[in-house]
Amino acid sequence: MRVNRAFRVGLILALPIIIYFLIFFIYPLITLFQSAFTNTAGAYTLANFTNMLTDRVLKISLENTAFYFFGSVALEYSVGFGVAFLLYNYLGRLRSIFRTIIFLPLMVSPVVIGLMWLLLLNTNYGPIDYMIRLLGLPPVNWLGNLSLAMPSLIIANGWEYSPFVFLIIYAGLQMVPQQLYEAASVDGLTRFQTFRYITLPSIRASMIIAFLLNSIGVLKGFDLVYVLTNGGPGYSTYILSFYEYVVGFSFFETHYAAALAILFLIVIGAFVFVMLKFTSVEEYLGLRRLKE
Amino acid sequence: MKAMTVVVIILLTIVSLVYIFPIYWTLVTAVKTSLQIFTYPPIFFPTRFTLSNFYTAGNIFGAVSQTAVGSVPWMIDSTIVAIIATLASTFLIAAPAAYSLVRYIKSVWLGRLILFMTMIPEAVFMVPFFLIVVKINLLNTWWGLILVYISFTAPFATWLLMGFFNDIPKSVEEAAEIDGLSPYQIFYRISLRLVIPGIIAALILNFISCWNELLYALILTYSPFPAGAQTVPLFLTSFIIVEKSFAWGGLAAAGIFTMLPTIILGIYAQKYLARGLTMGAVKG
Repeated sequence: MRVNRAFRVGLILALPIIIYFLIFFIYPLITLFQSAFTNTAGAYTLANFTNMLTDRVLKISLENTAFYFFGSVALEYSVGFGVAFLLYNYLGRLRSIFRTIIFLPLMVSPVVIGLMWLLLLNTNYGPIDYMIRLLGLPPVNWLGNLSLAMPSLIIANGWEYSPFVFLIIYAGLQMVPQQLYEAASVDGLTRFQTFRYITLPSIRASMIIAFLLNSIGVLKGFDLVYVLTNGGPGYSTYILSFYEYVVGFSFFETHYAAALAILFLIVIGAFVFVMLKFTSVEEYLGLRRLKE
Repeated sequence: MKAMTVVVIILLTIVSLVYIFPIYWTLVTAVKTSLQIFTYPPIFFPTRFTLSNFYTAGNIFGAVSQTAVGSVPWMIDSTIVAIIATLASTFLIAAPAAYSLVRYIKSVWLGRLILFMTMIPEAVFMVPFFLIVVKINLLNTWWGLILVYISFTAPFATWLLMGFFNDIPKSVEEAAEIDGLSPYQIFYRISLRLVIPGIIAALILNFISCWNELLYALILTYSPFPAGAQTVPLFLTSFIIVEKSFAWGGLAAAGIFTMLPTIILGIYAQKYLARGLTMGAVKG
């Protein structure tokens, strides 16, 4: 009796999200599959998926997405981790000043970040090229160069997201019990040993969560590409989300765009699945506590 | 040891300059005259300032541009859409759902689903949401955007609030139950009030993400208030074309001007920001 009543209360409270789930997840998902498996005449077809195999731009976009993903995550992770580690271990009273400064990019909207980097990377009047010229080197057309446009995007993305990795790793470092370090110094561990056997295992949760959330953030990316390069020059900065947007809303091939969205969903789903399966990320995010 | 500290301070100062400089440069560009902007070498520390970039339309090469102050119609759209989507998703959907998940249903699978939904990129549902919004005739309206924005604000707020509800000691609710309160009264009168910091965090972070959202706004709206519902990011992207025609002062001014609401909110909510941004993984 009591159990039933509790279940009923839970269900009533969860009713809005169940309705939400039907309207904002199931229904769009059905619509997505419906348009991906039909053509403009409304007939069922697999053509949208078979067309992917011969789509040269899709191949380029996927390669770019991989480059963008690994480049951004590597940059953001190493900078975020490095800065957090140095700040926590070597500074005392100055910590909060640096932390506040590194926090700044998190408050700027992605579109504004794009506009900022347009100003910074300008070849003729931008400050970065000015400094390059001071060093006696020729000016660089960052966003107009086939092989430099993507690295420029990665730098702007790194500026945007490395503070995010910093934030999570730094919070993780703060939570390591001080006694562990004291014990390590009593045992005579070297700095490197302390890092390897005390710090790293203690902040494992933060490291994995930072990696997961940072990766998802990078994969979601659209704004910077749209503002900074608009996919160009050529197809050199087409990433999956941008290509899908172009197909759907510049060429108005919504059926093919829907098929691309399914591909995107599979990529994200596979990534999240691997993370949940092979790391304890659920535990770290507090999901397991629901079982108790 | 001391030497190492000095090296680290120098290194971190350089890193900090890298984080500050883009913001500083934008700020400085916004208060330069076009003559000051287009000189070589660039002026790093201007001694004379102008505010004309904020309200003067047009520019030296004659391309008509919006002004920062002229962004008000887009700001109205953004504010209304963000406020309604945020309030509706937090109070009507997320708060009861999070409470139910933590205290009653306790389904790991539902938790996983909500977590996954916070991670789905906008690009995945871009096509279906466009088709649906066209079908129900809400293209270029506040309501169309609000509905679509609820799709990402609701799971985020739910996830965030789950962490906060979970932190409430069970004894508080048990005491209320002994006092004869019904489960709904406990939720509404006791638990909901104990997670007010979480609610503030959810409201502010969702407001900021609605305010900054680009992709859905791009496909679902095509004109600003009063005729349509174009939001601030679209106002800003309209400057990209102008950038090529050198309205940089206006561009920088618009960026600074439209950033103010989210910066003010961000500073106000700084202590909740860490926990919210990291989806509750970091206790702030």
